[in-house]
Amino acid sequence: MSDTNVQRLPAEQLFQKELDALMETETNPVPEGWRMSPKSVLTYICGGRCGDMEISAKYIGNRRLVEIAIATLVTDRALLLIGEPGTAKSWLSEHLAAAINGDSTRVIQGTAGTTEEQIKYSWNYAMLIASGPSKEAMIPSPVYRSMEQGMIARVEEISRCASEVQDALISILSEKRISVPELGIEVPARKGFSVIATANTRDKGVNEMSAALKRRFNIVVLPAPESLEEEMEIVKSRIAQLSGSLDLNAKLPQEEVVEKVCTIFRELRKGATLDGKQKLKGTSGVLSTAEAISLLANSMALAGSFGNGTITDYDLAAGLQGAVVKEDSKDQKAWEEYLENIMKKRGSKWLSLYEECKELNR
Amino acid sequence: MERGPFVFGIRHLSPAGAYFVREFLDQVDPKLVLIEGPSDFTELMEDLAGEDVKPPVAVMAYTKELPVRTVLYPFAEYSPEYQALLWAKEHGCRRAFCDLPSDVFLGLQAAREDKGGDEMPGGKGQALDREDEPGGGRQAIPGVEDEPKGGRQAIPGAEDEPKGGCQASPRDKGQTGPGQRGTFDVYRALDEQCGDGDHETFWERTIEQCRDVSGYRRGAGEFGRSLRELELTMGDRENRENLVREAYMRRRIREAVEEGISPEKIVVVAGAFHVEGILSADPAMSDKEFLALPRLESMRTLMPYSYYRLSERSGYGAGNHAPAYYEYLWQGLLRGEADYGARRYLSGLGAYERAHGGLVSAAQVMEAERLARALAGLHGSVIPTLRDLRDGAVTCMGQGEFSGLALAVADTEIGTKIGSLPQGVSQTSIQSDFYEKLKRLRLEKYKSVTAAELNLDLRENLRVKSRNAAFMDLERSFFLHRLRVLNIRFASLGTVSQDNATWAERWVLQWTPEAEIQLVEAVLKGDTLEQAAAFELKKRTEEGQGISFLAKVVAEAFYCGMPLAVHGAVEALQAMAVDAAAVSEIGDTIEQLSVVLQYGDIRKLDREPLVPIVSQLFLRACLILVQECACDDQAATALAPAIGKLHQAVVAHQFLDRERFLAVLGQIAARDDLNTRLSGTAASILLEMGVMDSEELGREVERRLSRGIPAELGAGWFAGLSSRNHYALIARLTLWEKLSGYLDTLDDEEFKRALLFLRRAFADFSSAEKDLIAENLGEIWQVNPQQVSEVLNDSLSEEGMEFLGGLEEFDFGDI
Repeated sequence: MSDTNVQRLPAEQLFQKELDALMETETNPVPEGWRMSPKSVLTYICGGRCGDMEISAKYIGNRRLVEIAIATLVTDRALLLIGEPGTAKSWLSEHLAAAINGDSTRVIQGTAGTTEEQIKYSWNYAMLIASGPSKEAMIPSPVYRSMEQGMIARVEEISRCASEVQDALISILSEKRISVPELGIEVPARKGFSVIATANTRDKGVNEMSAALKRRFNIVVLPAPESLEEEMEIVKSRIAQLSGSLDLNAKLPQEEVVEKVCTIFRELRKGATLDGKQKLKGTSGVLSTAEAISLLANSMALAGSFGNGTITDYDLAAGLQGAVVKEDSKDQKAWEEYLENIMKKRGSKWLSLYEECKELNR
Repeated sequence: MERGPFVFGIRHLSPAGAYFVREFLDQVDPKLVLIEGPSDFTELMEDLAGEDVKPPVAVMAYTKELPVRTVLYPFAEYSPEYQALLWAKEHGCRRAFCDLPSDVFLGLQAAREDKGGDEMPGGKGQALDREDEPGGGRQAIPGVEDEPKGGRQAIPGAEDEPKGGCQASPRDKGQTGPGQRGTFDVYRALDEQCGDGDHETFWERTIEQCRDVSGYRRGAGEFGRSLRELELTMGDRENRENLVREAYMRRRIREAVEEGISPEKIVVVAGAFHVEGILSADPAMSDKEFLALPRLESMRTLMPYSYYRLSERSGYGAGNHAPAYYEYLWQGLLRGEADYGARRYLSGLGAYERAHGGLVSAAQVMEAERLARALAGLHGSVIPTLRDLRDGAVTCMGQGEFSGLALAVADTEIGTKIGSLPQGVSQTSIQSDFYEKLKRLRLEKYKSVTAAELNLDLRENLRVKSRNAAFMDLERSFFLHRLRVLNIRFASLGTVSQDNATWAERWVLQWTPEAEIQLVEAVLKGDTLEQAAAFELKKRTEEGQGISFLAKVVAEAFYCGMPLAVHGAVEALQAMAVDAAAVSEIGDTIEQLSVVLQYGDIRKLDREPLVPIVSQLFLRACLILVQECACDDQAATALAPAIGKLHQAVVAHQFLDRERFLAVLGQIAARDDLNTRLSGTAASILLEMGVMDSEELGREVERRLSRGIPAELGAGWFAGLSSRNHYALIARLTLWEKLSGYLDTLDDEEFKRALLFLRRAFADFSSAEKDLIAENLGEIWQVNPQQVSEVLNDSLSEEGMEFLGGLEEFDFGDI
């Protein structure tokens, strides 16, 4: 069983029971290299029932987008998830890999320092020098291993990689093989191999993806949650999972608290009040759902460590200040305007939060 | 074994239904084919099945009386009814429509809307209620009246375009579409339950993709039966109407059997919803009951239709959200290739994108197809539905964004196909009128798809003998204007250069099949073009909000050469003119009417009735103008042109009270407590009319632009003064002397303020005008005019820009 001392377990261990149940009751045809049928993957991600077991929803939102993502992988095309920061791109990618292969850990994190070797393979230089190139001296990349085993590799933040590194993926995705000239071998991808990449719309232009590479991906754009209810649902379910694994020693935030945070985030994100009647100044930060989740977890930690275990408006205000006011001094003004023009006029329910926030925003 | 009569349940506009109904007819080989559709349309069947008919076409019935009500039955090539009809014709089989006659449909429609609701016209309610309403028949059905749903509205006489929603098609009931309240919930529930997101996709996946005739018949039958079960429990009046219709269809079957046709040799093609009702053992409608139904006298016509119009009606049984795509499905069935529709659709998208500069490769089209298949696979099917295809295309060709493909999708799904009928088949009275006029006015050669220009000279042609020929162009102009008013897109009016505007018109004529549809629809407004145009103008008169709108109607009526309509609009205008209106609106109104008055004689119309109304409005404007001039700059921007329009009217018409107008202007020009811009404007008009001489102007300039008066007010006045006739100002040297003198008196700070406003005032002077100003100033300052001109016309240096930019931020205190 899984090790409880780990800060964050991979999805396949966290939800092992659900995955096992789905695999056991599988009745539909399973594509080669997959552990369960596409339908079961959909159930695993969007929630549903499996025998008498309730499968929790991992991705809350447009079910059709998940269908398209799964169907893409069935056709052995690579999948590219695009969206604003915090729209559950990596989350979805992890769970797809976990459900399809039972292994979501073959990840390459795209950074400015990512090299072509990290995409293909590198060497244990000590061995390489000592005994020349050999299979043992080679360190295969996650992509390499996935090809050998017919599994799914994940590339995070692909648009942060330099373009020559991105280009290395092109041949892999079109030829579906890696050649190792040093050893004179060529590794063909087994059936089931695919790549799930994620890219951030805010990074547009950092390293614009080439048309050639884009062509090799099926692109699914993940939107920000459509409604307040949907976003609250996401936040609540994720907080519940997090508080279990992080031992926060605090009660789960009340409905009202989640609603407040989501309302503030949505309004600042959209630049208008939820009812659309009033325009307001937005902030430079993204204020994603993911940030709302971490804000609440943070507030829970504050409440658990220094308070009585229940999130107070004081804890919340501290988190909000940090999330809303990023480095920019304009953010501070926008936040103050929001406090005075919107929050102050919301009545008694919001009053104490308003006062705490005002105190902190000086 | 199933026994006759056989009912083939369909969904309207269903390619699979159209394909399999033929197969079914082959199997049964009937002697009589009955098709759902008003029985009096039977007489149009031969024309409808004609060889030269190119669907989509529609059969329309409409009332002669107001308010005009319509019943419309569109047919595409893949309509099962249409294919059944063609089959019957090919096999020499008897055929007829078997639903209630259209006059009853229209009568029921009227009864439904009848405000009282609780009684059918003439107390004929019983027939409707006979079958299923224990005692409730005479009660109003709550919610029927207060629901402004498309299906329930009569075309209120005539809208600009009788849109789909306005035409209550009996098809709305039962088969598809959330058109009715009763069905709405059912379909929503279906949307949620079917696991496919929406019931259209559900239908396509489960029934449209059936591979054989019995499967389709069973599936559609079950679909209809379930819907029926759900709806009948709701007990809406709609459903009682359905029951009446079915009783009538049973009557038609009974009649056929009584004529000696064996039930095994009868096939009824009807909406799946009605299958059970037609086969039920309930008694058929009796003569007495049939006679008791409400009726409205109606006319019928065939008309061409378009895919675009079909798609507008999506959601209704008679509509189809993606007509072009459904045609691909139909072609696929004919070719025997199940996935032809999918391939054709995706390559269509790709082709559209490429043709419009997009980068879509054949490889991407293939990827999209594979993805669509995989999506279909997720729903346990093999052939993708439209939704799968569209999502596949967006993912693989549109980089995940629908917006990028939206145009291609609209073009490929809806298409631009327009049906056509052979000449003479669709002959509504308005069409005959149109063609007769076209011939008489010798415009026939312009009825072509290439645009042609037509220049009209409205004056009497003195070189010809007959009166007809002499005014030919004027008649043409009336004719074309009437078409324009009716929104029939055949002729568009081009602009004519100003100097010959009074008697010349330039038209661009281009015939489109769409225009034919618009023409047919215009019959709802009247039997001839003149009547229809009169109706349209009357409607606008009645709707008219504000006098300037009505003045526009007057002008339109006048262009159309319709004295009665002019009269009606003028009367309405008079009635409304009694109420107070703002000067700006009066200005617009007078401008419109003034044109009519000035150029009226060329159109041989009596303009006398307009004279009193223009005088009346003009007087009103004079009376309130002074007060209105006490306003802020924003209001002044609207008011200044109105003053100009009044001025033009005074110049043009002798009967207007010139003295009064001048007195009012004098007051505005002289008073200091009004908006200074408007005072300036008034002064400029006085100057133009020669009432103010140079000396007076000089005095006025000195007074307005003296030190101590805030610079922005002075400059504002000058802006008003200079806004109209630039040359009148330039020619007066005294003006420039005073201006120069004024500027000399200002200190630095004041100068900065004045600079900004003066700069704006001079912004719309042309460079030639600036040259002339330079000459003036050169004379005053005793410098070389050329140098001044250079400075004036030179674009600003960066430094200068910056300086002015700084001034923009200048604090102007309380303004």
